[in-house]
Amino acid sequence: MHISADMLFWVQQKRWLLVALVVGAILYFFVPHPQSLGPDGYHILIIILMTLILILKEPIPLPAIALQLIFWQVMIGGSTANEVGGYFMNDAVFFIMGSLMLAVAIVSQGLDKRLALGIIHLTGNKSWRIVAGFTAISAILSSFVGPHMVTAMMLPVALTLIRYTSDKGRSNTGLIAALLFSIAYGATIGSIGTPSGGGRNVIMMNYWAEFGSGSLSYIEWMKMVYPMVLIEIPITTFIILKTFPPEWQNLDTAVRRLSVEVAHAGKMSAKEIFSLFLFAGVLYGWIVLSEDYGLGSIALIGIFLFMAFGLVSWKDLSRGVNWGVILLFGATISIGVQMKNTGGAAWLAEGSVNLLQNLIPNIDALRAVVSVALSGVLSNLLSSSATVAVVGPVVLNLGGDPILLGLASVISSAFGYFTAVAAPACTIIYSSGLVKAPDFLRAGWKMAIMSVISLALVALVWWPLLR
Amino acid sequence: MTKKKPLFDPKSLKFLTAVSSVEYSKPTLKMGALIASVFDASHGVVYVGERASEFHGSSVNLTRTNLDNWNIIHPGLEVLEWALQELKKLSPENNELAKIQFNPDHVYEEDGRVRVMLPEEKGCRIELVLREGELVDQLRKEIQLENYDLAIIGGSQNKRHLAHSLIQYLPSSIFILQKFNPRKKYKLLLLVDDSIATNKSVEWGALIAEKLGWPVRTLTVSKTKRFGAGYQGAADKAKAYFDSRGIEVEQFFLTGDPVRTFVDFAGDNHFVIMGASTLNPVKQLLFGSKPIKTLEQSDVPILIVR
Repeated sequence: MHISADMLFWVQQKRWLLVALVVGAILYFFVPHPQSLGPDGYHILIIILMTLILILKEPIPLPAIALQLIFWQVMIGGSTANEVGGYFMNDAVFFIMGSLMLAVAIVSQGLDKRLALGIIHLTGNKSWRIVAGFTAISAILSSFVGPHMVTAMMLPVALTLIRYTSDKGRSNTGLIAALLFSIAYGATIGSIGTPSGGGRNVIMMNYWAEFGSGSLSYIEWMKMVYPMVLIEIPITTFIILKTFPPEWQNLDTAVRRLSVEVAHAGKMSAKEIFSLFLFAGVLYGWIVLSEDYGLGSIALIGIFLFMAFGLVSWKDLSRGVNWGVILLFGATISIGVQMKNTGGAAWLAEGSVNLLQNLIPNIDALRAVVSVALSGVLSNLLSSSATVAVVGPVVLNLGGDPILLGLASVISSAFGYFTAVAAPACTIIYSSGLVKAPDFLRAGWKMAIMSVISLALVALVWWPLLR
Repeated sequence: MTKKKPLFDPKSLKFLTAVSSVEYSKPTLKMGALIASVFDASHGVVYVGERASEFHGSSVNLTRTNLDNWNIIHPGLEVLEWALQELKKLSPENNELAKIQFNPDHVYEEDGRVRVMLPEEKGCRIELVLREGELVDQLRKEIQLENYDLAIIGGSQNKRHLAHSLIQYLPSSIFILQKFNPRKKYKLLLLVDDSIATNKSVEWGALIAEKLGWPVRTLTVSKTKRFGAGYQGAADKAKAYFDSRGIEVEQFFLTGDPVRTFVDFAGDNHFVIMGASTLNPVKQLLFGSKPIKTLEQSDVPILIVR
């Protein structure tokens, strides 16, 4: 009897794995491939559908999802093991790996205390100025170093302010939400600003290169996208303050106590200065040298130097990096390339355009809508990087200017404001236990409308001037 | 029945109380502490928090490591700290417990959970554990890991959804504190039938009645007007057991739909004890069972003995 209960529990826990397998088996064995799509392309789409179910519901660990992506491609996707392996490691994966490691290396230096002091000097004591400062600093830093590192460094500063504001910290719901969302949404809107702002940006650059769609340098990307970040910073602050009005107008006591706490850290040590110097070097490399050497290689040089100079240990790096995610990105990018090679991406793109062309007769507008809607919706369910890895090849097959459509897709994949799963910054503040899922909806819909309008503005007014 | 060896040794019992928040878990913790102390059982307190998506696991871990550097404790630990303080207040006579201080630095991760280290050498029989993930899965893992005999769980808003999973998959007895009011005077209502689990639930009922001094009622329900030998025999054996321990018991025999009759009879002033179903788990999943349906339909605390 006990065994049966155990088996039943296993089935209940793994039901989405079984659903994925059953759906995959039915499509593979009983539903013939469409006339306009070859068997390999069809099989790749089946694998992607199964993978989406698994990523969405997480019935098995992420590394296991990555592994099934690999072996299905070889077994039913018409690829050889060497082909899959060839696409598995590329500059985008190097970059994701390197940026996760850099985050561990930088955060472990304790530079966040300096950052806290800098923010306080900049903003003063008023709540609205602190929220505005948090949003702006998070956005600007995140645009260069990624949202995960920024949020990891900013969250303790916010929580310390909250702790010092009142003994009954949890009753300050407005202040708590305002500070935490200013970090999360600030870091999220900033993450589109430069190629190094997020893994998804580099994945798209990788697809452009892989599919021969053209390229953008670091500076060109910034020129096209950074104005949108600058437009969004003040509006995001306004939305956050209106949605979560802080209970206190002034945080003078908390700011004073925080200043005292961080002042205990003393003067910057040589190690901290050297870490900053190294990181500035990596940033410089990304901006100036990435066209020749790739963003990933430069990130790895940075990590090499951090380790060589004893600023971070391999033990800390290996413990702080989720290798399963890296495995999954490698596997997702490899299937994205296979989707393109087997015609699956073109078939999906054509199908989407045919489906909607009666509603939106203008083909350019239709392409833009498909690109933005696919990325925006999916990024609220999956992570934004996974969204771009899956949606990217489809978007680049829509026709039109692949650079503009790719940028629109990447930007809209950052519109994951509604849930805690889309962006790392949102997951981090949610995991603090201080904000609830409905809070994301309360502010998220306003952020989504604001972001779509900002994107439309930039795409229609700014981009034509540049291209 | 009276000469038989008890089905369990009350001295070696291990109870687990699941707490969810400082705001809502006070009655649950209070009852857990009370039951554990009257049974002289060791007492575990577990907080099950939400698990972050594995996708961003690195980022969340990095942030938590950094929060440690700022002396900001892992989310959920504050609930366990509160639980320890509450347990101290509930047992003011326990001098050893009073000496124990909560130290968020004295935690370590093992077996997929975070355990707060408490000084066992002082005779502390309390365990504080933090887990993250789906509630039933995590409680099940904790019960299996530590061999808990009883899981004490607060009444949930979505109990209909959880009732099946809790009763079917937790491998221990379960005490669900629906609308439990610590100030209320409850009567113990023991549901007696001819199932194997009745024997054990009679023993639990007798121990609770002895320790808490609550009046005891037994209820046997037949679907037909006739009570078979099995039902009558089980009710007689239960009464004999209570008599042998000097506990007064009122017996009731009613006819009708068993679950509906249990629920109506229990009203809102009984503390129900019933045996776990012996039905095949697949049948339970498809058609439900008496404990599952009773839990779904009633609004009183229920102890389901396995």
